[in-house]
Amino acid sequence: MSSWLDYTINGLIVGNVYALVAVGLALIFGVSRLINFAQGSIYLVGAYIGWVAVVQLHTPLPLTIIVVAVAAAVVGLIIERFGLRPLQNSVRIAPLLATIGISFVLDQLVMLTFSPNPRALPSQLPDIRFQVGGGTIGPLDLLIAGVGLTSALLLFVFLRYTKLGWAVRATAQDRDAAMQMGVDVNRVNQAVFGIAAALGGVSGLLVGMYYNQIDTAMSLQATLKGVVAEVVGGAGNVPGAVIGSLLLGLVESYGVAMLGTSYRNLFAFLLLVVVLVLRPNGLFVSARQAPPEPLTGTFIAPSRPVHIPRWALLVAVAGFAILPLFPVSFYVLQTLINAWLLGMLALSLTLVAGTMGQVSLGHAALLAIGAYTSALLSLTLAVPVGLAVIGGGLMSAALGTLLISPSFRLRGHYVSIATLAIGEIVALVILNWESVTRGPIGISGIPPLSLFGYDLIGPTSIYWFSLAVMVVLALLQGRLLTSHLGRSFRAIRDDDIAARAYGLGLNRYKSLAFIFGGFAAGISGGIAAHLYSYINHETFNTQQSILALTVVILGGLGNVVGAILGSVALVGLPEVFRIAAEYRILIYGIVLLLLVRFRPQGLLGTV
Amino acid sequence: MSNIDRRSLVKGSLATMMAGAAFSRAAFAQSSEPILLGVSGPLTGPNAQYGTQWKQGFDLALDEIQAAGGINGRKLAYQFEDSQSDPRQSVAIAQKFVSDPRIVMELGDFSSPASMAASPIYQRGGLVQFGFTNSHPDFTKGGDFMWSTSVSQADEQPLLASYAVKRLGLKKLAVLHLNTDWGRTSRDYFVKAAKEYGAEIAVTEGYIAEERDFRSTLVRVRDANPDGLILISYYSDGALIARQARQVGLKQTMCAASSVYSPKFLELGGEAVENVHLGTRYFPEDPRPEVKKFIAGFKAKYGGQEPDAFNAYSYDAMNMAAAVLKIGGTDRRAIRDAFAKVKDVSSVIFGQATFDVESRRVKGAMNAELVVRKGQFALWDGKPT
Repeated sequence: MSSWLDYTINGLIVGNVYALVAVGLALIFGVSRLINFAQGSIYLVGAYIGWVAVVQLHTPLPLTIIVVAVAAAVVGLIIERFGLRPLQNSVRIAPLLATIGISFVLDQLVMLTFSPNPRALPSQLPDIRFQVGGGTIGPLDLLIAGVGLTSALLLFVFLRYTKLGWAVRATAQDRDAAMQMGVDVNRVNQAVFGIAAALGGVSGLLVGMYYNQIDTAMSLQATLKGVVAEVVGGAGNVPGAVIGSLLLGLVESYGVAMLGTSYRNLFAFLLLVVVLVLRPNGLFVSARQAPPEPLTGTFIAPSRPVHIPRWALLVAVAGFAILPLFPVSFYVLQTLINAWLLGMLALSLTLVAGTMGQVSLGHAALLAIGAYTSALLSLTLAVPVGLAVIGGGLMSAALGTLLISPSFRLRGHYVSIATLAIGEIVALVILNWESVTRGPIGISGIPPLSLFGYDLIGPTSIYWFSLAVMVVLALLQGRLLTSHLGRSFRAIRDDDIAARAYGLGLNRYKSLAFIFGGFAAGISGGIAAHLYSYINHETFNTQQSILALTVVILGGLGNVVGAILGSVALVGLPEVFRIAAEYRILIYGIVLLLLVRFRPQGLLGTV
Repeated sequence: MSNIDRRSLVKGSLATMMAGAAFSRAAFAQSSEPILLGVSGPLTGPNAQYGTQWKQGFDLALDEIQAAGGINGRKLAYQFEDSQSDPRQSVAIAQKFVSDPRIVMELGDFSSPASMAASPIYQRGGLVQFGFTNSHPDFTKGGDFMWSTSVSQADEQPLLASYAVKRLGLKKLAVLHLNTDWGRTSRDYFVKAAKEYGAEIAVTEGYIAEERDFRSTLVRVRDANPDGLILISYYSDGALIARQARQVGLKQTMCAASSVYSPKFLELGGEAVENVHLGTRYFPEDPRPEVKKFIAGFKAKYGGQEPDAFNAYSYDAMNMAAAVLKIGGTDRRAIRDAFAKVKDVSSVIFGQATFDVESRRVKGAMNAELVVRKGQFALWDGKPT
């Protein structure tokens, strides 16, 4: 019994740690309706500034906190001014992508400056421990709790009783009305970003001290947990973020208590999905409040798509088809194979995100389902590889649609968050379901691709095969989009209320889009599994989901040719910059930012 | 002398001169163009730190190899391609290396998905894929072009189990392991050996690499009431677990796999890692000459920095590559065959490394029994803690 007291205390302590990140996220969401994926990077920056202050300048703790808060706030202001303000009148997805780009740039700059080796960040507090339950609590635990609660309290006071706070709330409620009433919306945004960044930086410092360890890979995990906590509490609600964080910490801790350590993150993401399904606005935002997302198609940039004549497409496909007949290196072919595989994934995503308006951040899960199904069918049931790949596609279509269906009633950013969670859940299930997936050991010895009894093992034959599959999928999708069904999809994207009023069954149409999309992604994953011959739970990760989304935005949402063009570009770019080694991700992040800034509708435009 | 004769003489001497020039140019090309190895590994992304450590070990080994006259008179060099340890990129890199005639052998990749996804391409392309961090049991089963100096966990874990159970007398164990292919395989070998030595496994807990908070895990461990904790961890997570174990009030003896051996383990763990026992493949105060040379060379080259396990792996790998190339020359197939022929190559990890032709791995890792005393790694003096 005493152990449950310990689990509770541990859950609250780690919940406090999450709260430090979540409060900053909530504040920004409250005002700009933006999930700031760069918050984890500011947290990272704060930790390293803290390291410089503590280890090299030997500042005392109060001064360290001030230095970190001010420096992080400056970073926040710079992000707001140069990264996000230019996107103010842009579509809602643009700033979201911009924050992803900013996080790449910040993480990479920190890594280049400080090297990727982890560093010790000594706590500057005395090492005394108080006995509580079977465990102990130290001064730093209390400080973290204090900072979390105090900042939430101060924010509450600030929002309720100061003039700037009123302006912030007014802007959050109705930006245009606030502007008409003379509120300087830019100044409000600036203030909010500065405060959120200062909080983020200080949280990085405190968490670094808490673990006596900082490293450049810590930002993504912080963002993920922060986002989960914030959305659970109710996006944009500061006290909600604190309570959501504590709840998340408790759920994780009890999850470990009941089932063991390897289920920890599974519980975190399941909590998120359950909350989103039961209370789409989060636990502490009342349902009566206006929905935090606009109802209709403003999430996606309207544009006139670039029309590419049919003969040009034919020439391009023919050109790529005869490419292996020329003396090109296998490296080029392999790079293009990667592009075709990514192209299939992008087709899938552009259908659900672009045509249907359901932005998915967990699309790699569909790859994983297809890959595991195909690998296991061919290995354990000796199904011929060609059929196994199709089986992978069907399984992704069925399971993917089933998993995603609870999120059909969500809108805008909430769909992205739910899909992100589902992506993580699939990876964690693969890791833990050992009797089927072989857990962390992964599946090795997957037979090579074959067709009618002939093994496709040379890069040339794999190239032709994957190109052909992609072209067929693209043609099918192109046909789909010009049909009545495609118009219905777009109608739902542009105005779901009007579409429903017109008699369209939203869930059925969304399911149809995910079935087709899941099939294409599953085929891609299946081919990849046979190409790699070894897969494990890390082969298809969040990074690939983000890459797929970037491709789709780059090409133009809903644009079939754009998805393929984007794939070739984004598989090619890092290869072109391969010489730049350590700077590759930095360049990638900057390219992403420039793209969002200057061509948010993508290269070929939204269809 | 006839005209014809003179002409032919001139012609002849010209031909000789040209041939001579051509010959000397060829000889020049031979000696100045270095023999090139391909390296596929992470320089960016979440595993970037390991790629950085590889480079340090490679560069140190290369300095020594060039100073000793290179490979039969030619220099040795490597081309490092950043894969981020991502299989999509490692397969493209594999095609790049296979189709580049200058590359004679490949080293890497870091993680199993990235390495084993590339294996079929190296195997078919007839280029040796020399993995030196690839402990996945199936890595060398990819084909006869896959060789590895990564210590098989089948070798290492029984040594750790023997240290914990037989030498330290721990009878009831809790095992915490990184839930990856490496951690999982290691755990299975450890548990099997520990049981054979008569220990009871009270609980095993697997955690993912991004995990930072272990307090609730440690409460589970505490409730299982073991008399020893076994950490199958890298140095960063090992240090985190040790710190939090002390914070939740666990005072049991801790034993860790050799992968925590790093000065960073002491730095990140602080007082909490005092008295942690670990087996290690090498140790700075180890009197073996190859270890002394490595440590001294490393500190001199990198401003007094202490090397750690990944530095040693990459240093050994480069030296092994050099030894193989000295026998195999620059022909890819001959290089593969040379792996079976190298004998007793001086190695930090193994002392003397010779491949087992069946498994294509090296057998017989050294294990020094260490303990952390006063913030330093020290040879264990046999006293219980």
